Parts: sequence; C-alpha cells; structure tokens
Amino acid sequence: MFCSDEFIRPPRGTIEAMSFIARYYAPSIFMRCGCDAKRRMANFLMNNAIQVTNLRRVYKSYVGVFRRKLKEVEAVKGISFEVAAGELFGILGPNGAGKTTTVKMLTTLLLPTSGTATILGHDVVRDVSALRPRIGFIFGGERGLYWRLSGMDNLKYFSSLYQIDPAVQAKRIPYLLELVGLKERANEKVEGYSRGMKQRLHIARTLLNDPEVMFLDEPSIGLDPVAARDIRRVVRDLRDEKKTILLTTHYMFEADELCKRIAVINKGEIVALDTPANLKRVVQDLSVVELEVKMFTPDALERLKGLPFVDAVTVQEREQNSLVIVQSPRGAEAVSELLAQLNGATVQKVTVREPTLEDAYVRLVEGMDETKKEGAGSK
Amino acid sequence: MHQLITNLKLFWQGAALSYVALFSWLRPTTFLASMIIFPLGQILFFTLLGIFATGRDSASFYLIGNAMQITASAGIFGVTMAIGGERWAGTLMYLFGAPANRLTIFAGRATIHIFNGVVQVLMGLAWGLVLGWVSFAHTDPLALGITILIATFSTAALGLLLGCLGLVTLNIMFINNLVYFLLLLFSGANLPITALPQWMQYISWSLPLTRGIAAARFIVDGASLAEVAPLLVGEFFIGVGYLVAGYVLFRIFEIEAKRRGTLEAF
Ligand SMILES: Nc1ncnc2c1ncn2[C@@H]1O[C@H](COP(=O)(O)OP(=O)(O)OP(=O)(O)O)[C@@H](O)[C@H]1O
Ligand SMILES: [Mg+2]
Repeated sequence: MFCSDEFIRPPRGTIEAMSFIARYYAPSIFMRCGCDAKRRMANFLMNNAIQVTNLRRVYKSYVGVFRRKLKEVEAVKGISFEVAAGELFGILGPNGAGKTTTVKMLTTLLLPTSGTATILGHDVVRDVSALRPRIGFIFGGERGLYWRLSGMDNLKYFSSLYQIDPAVQAKRIPYLLELVGLKERANEKVEGYSRGMKQRLHIARTLLNDPEVMFLDEPSIGLDPVAARDIRRVVRDLRDEKKTILLTTHYMFEADELCKRIAVINKGEIVALDTPANLKRVVQDLSVVELEVKMFTPDALERLKGLPFVDAVTVQEREQNSLVIVQSPRGAEAVSELLAQLNGATVQKVTVREPTLEDAYVRLVEGMDETKKEGAGSK
Repeated sequence: MHQLITNLKLFWQGAALSYVALFSWLRPTTFLASMIIFPLGQILFFTLLGIFATGRDSASFYLIGNAMQITASAGIFGVTMAIGGERWAGTLMYLFGAPANRLTIFAGRATIHIFNGVVQVLMGLAWGLVLGWVSFAHTDPLALGITILIATFSTAALGLLLGCLGLVTLNIMFINNLVYFLLLLFSGANLPITALPQWMQYISWSLPLTRGIAAARFIVDGASLAEVAPLLVGEFFIGVGYLVAGYVLFRIFEIEAKRRGTLEAF
C-alpha cells in the first residue's frame, strides 16, 4: 500500500486520520492489496493514468411481459488499453459499439462483468471512494442538469456533492463560467439555455473538483458546427493543461484534431488502436471516389460492393441526392467502371480525393463487419 | 471546528439547492398559495364536514387532526419529488458518481420540506383560531411545537421511503396520492382510531402521524409534554424506522442500478 499516493498526503485532524486508517489500512488487513499493489506500482512507473485490462460487460434484461425471456447483450467484449498521464485518448465507434458502457465502467457507475480497470492507481470497483473525487465525467446531451436552477446554482449544487469548500467555490465557479463562456448568462435558469450552453455548463460541472482524469462521452453530440467548435476549443485548452482525457465521439475530425491516440471500437471490441496518422495508413493505398447520385437504389449499392476492386462503399442520404463514397486502390481509373454500374441513375458530380481518417474508420468498422458476415456464412 | 462549519455549509447548500431544483410547483405565487391557501382549504373542507356530521362541539377534533395532516403535503409530495425527481431530471449518474456521503444527500433532501411542513401546520392551526374552532388557552406552546416537529419528521421519513420507490417504479404520483388519502383515513385526522375495525387499527399505529395527531389533541386540551411523551417517542421511532427503511432502499437502488446498468433507464 505504500505506492498508494494517498499515503503521501498527510491526514489532517483526528477524525480524518481515523477514517484514513480505516479506509486505507483495513483493505490491506483483509489481504486485498497483494498483487494489486504490484500493478499499481507498475502503473505508477509507466505513468499510466488509465489502465484497462480485459474489461467486459454483459447486460441482462428480460423481454416480453408474460413469458419473460432472458436476453443477454455483450456490450464490451474484453478490451484492454492504457492512457498515459496527460494524454488525450479517443474512442471512436458506431452507435452501440460500447463506448458509453466502457465510460460508465471507468467512472464507477457500472460494474464490469469481468476484467479490471484502474484510474490513477485506484481500482474502479474497489477504490470507489478514493477515485471519485479525482475524476470528472460527462455523458453527452443536455440532460443531467437541474433546469429550474441557474447555471451558477447548478455549479454550486454539484460543488456541494463534491464537498468543495465554499471559499474555494467562490473563486472557482466564476472562473469556470468564464472558461466555458457562460459568464453573462450565469444567473439565468438553465431551462432557457441553448443545447450548446447546456453542454458547456456540463464541462464546467466536470471541472468543479479539478479532476486529474476526465471522461467526455460525446460532449459535442447534437450541436451545430459552431457550438461543437466551442466545445472542441475548451477540450483543447484542457488538453494543453495536461489533463488526462478520454473522449468518445462520432465525429472524425474531432478525434483527428484533438486526440493523440485513438481506439476504434466496434461491437464491443477494439479493432484498431493507434495515432490518427497511423490509422490513416490503413487506407493509404486507397483513393476515395465520391459520387453524387440522384435516385441511388439498393441494387446499385450491391452491384458496387460486388466489384472486385472496391473495398468499401458508404452512402449518405442528402436532400437532393445521395453521396456515394467508394474506397478503391484504383482511384480515378475506377470511375468509368463505377459509373457503368449506375446505369439509369443520374450522376451529378464525381470527385476523387485522398483518404481521411473517416475513410480509415469506415474501412476498419466495415471491414470487420464483412469478415463477421463471412464467418457466419461458412458455419 | 472549521471543518464542521464547512460541512454544515455544504449540507445546507445541497439541501437548499436541491429543494429549489426538484420541487416542481415552486413558483413564488404557487408557493405562497401552498403555504396559506392550501392549509385553509384542507381544514375548511374537513372541519365543516365534521361539524355537519357530528356537531359544533367536535370542531377542535377535526381542526387539529386536519391541521396536523397538512404536513403530509410537504412530507409526502414534496419529499418524494426531491428524491424521485432525480430520475426525471436525468441527474442520477452525476448524483451517484459524486463522492458525497449518501446519508447526507438523503437526509438533506427532506430538511427544508420539514420546515415547510411545520409552517403549513402552524398556518392551519392559525386559521382554526381565526375561525373560532379551537382555543389554545390551556396549551403549552413548546409541547405543541415539539409535537408538530416530530410528526412532520416522521411523515417526511415516509416520504423519503416513497421517493426511493419512485426511483424504482415510474408512477410515483399514483403512489403519492394513494398514500396521502390513506393517511387521511388511517391517521385519525377525521375519525377516532377506535372507530376503525381492529385490523385497520394495526395499520394506523404503524403509520406516521397517528400518534402525533393524538398527542396534539391532548396538548391543545392542556396535557403536559410528559403526559404525551410515550406517544411522541413512538412517533419519533416510527419516523426513524421509515428513515432507515428508505435509506436502505436508496442504497439498494444504487447498488442494484450499478450492477444491472439501469441507472438512467426510463
Ligand atoms: N442498460 C442497458 N441494458 C441493456 N442493454 C444495454 C444497456 N445499455 C446499453 N446496452 C446495449 O449495449 C450495447 C452498447 O451500448 P453503448 O451505449 O455502450 O454504445 P455506444 O457506443 O455508447 O453507442 P452510441 O454511439 O449510440 O452512444 C448496445 O447494443 C446497447 O443496446
Ligand atoms: Mg454512447
């Protein structure tokens, strides 16, 4: 237990000393420390703020009213990664990939089914009370604030939950409101805030206890580009302050712009973990052909996917037409054959460009789905 | 000492802000109405009904019973919102992710509603005095005050338990209304407990408010604090019982939600 960093902080006052002894010595009396201490020491030496080992979570729920059937969802399938102190680490994945589930487990809000995770050396299951004051978290969206209170009062209320001395609050709350650009509106009720303002208030809320590690689960979800940029600016400032941040997002450029390393996760598994630059290498041999097509049919999609030189196809439906994004090593040379498969449809615009992180992501996620399908088919 | 003051300040901050945050009908006008008009409504309706049914002599029986019963408004409706409303606000994740002591959060939620309840009961009694249905000529004000406080506490404790039910089930308003009217019947506010069938009397004596109302009637008639002490001690421990049960449910809810992943389920 000597590597537990609480040990370095001397206790104040008798009661505190007693609770300190109870909390930090009792577990070791019951032989809980053992190999844990070794792992903490290793973590400490490697300077990892977050250490996740084979983390797994299965949700059980019952479906049906009368004949209740047990349904199990393995949301996170034994993932491992670590985040260095001061690093901004991204988790990227499609809906239902298990991002939120992972963040919930790391923030002590959900028990893992198996595996372990330590944050700042504290186990997320056993050292909850030591861990909570040192972390902050956001689960994207505008809920989770008290709409009848002002922004200021929300922060005061959450400060009381984090036992922040009123004298400290008096300085920190105005500072944070300024940081997230809500100073002028601080005394208005949150119900009148825009989505972006609410989400910025959430960021101020997570910073109340000056956390060493922050978990931001889709902090810019549902925001317009300007509001999302404001959030990114705040996150970048925090990164520059050397806070350890775990960020999940759907937005590639957000991850590309902010994160040092990114884990791409799909269906509960990490399919790639690298720097944005290295992830892009997955698609460096490819070019991307974008076709703006009127009346694009599912048949045409199947035909495009069937072409031997096509790696991945995604379609974005727009108001006037569909944007068909084709990844292929042939690049510009493939265009004529692609067009040939689209007989009947009107092609309005064709662009050939270099791949982006988004393309890498699509390839990683789709590629995995394809192998899955083939695997299932051969059974 | 400094630490103690800081903790008290933080407790107060949490209690006061959560009160404003989660008390749904809290607008200045509705608030005043709930403090002044609501007590009047309750005592007018039931006391007049009682006088009509049993005669002018029993006015004070109905008045005291119903004035005390008013505490169930803050204690049941207010307190359940203060706990159960968290689900509605979507704040459970942030509440349960915080390091704050759970008992402090839990108790803090009822604190201001208890003040509320006391004020409403006093208001009800004041209306009764104005209307000439009760006389405090032989009453020990301190004893009456203590009785009101204890009855309000134990009713709020039941409210905390119901609030925790509100975290688990969704239709808390139905439960609230049901309990409010059951208290109206079982607490003895509007008919003597002895008039109830035996099995119903058991229910009466296991609910908050029953002993408090009985004690209040004795005190207004001139009994001393010592004479009603057994009733008050009983009322107090009924409250403690519900408080403990509510807190246990609160913790079970937290632990289960964490295990099953239902913290923010709707
Ligand atoms: N409380 C729950 N009970 C049952 N299943 C759940 C629960 N929460 C999540 N799941 C399931 O677990 C899987 C992972 O969900 P999760 O919310 O972690 O994904 P996500 O990556 O955060 O997705 P999104 O991008 O949509 O937020 C999904 O299949 C989801 O349906
Ligand atoms: Mg999510």
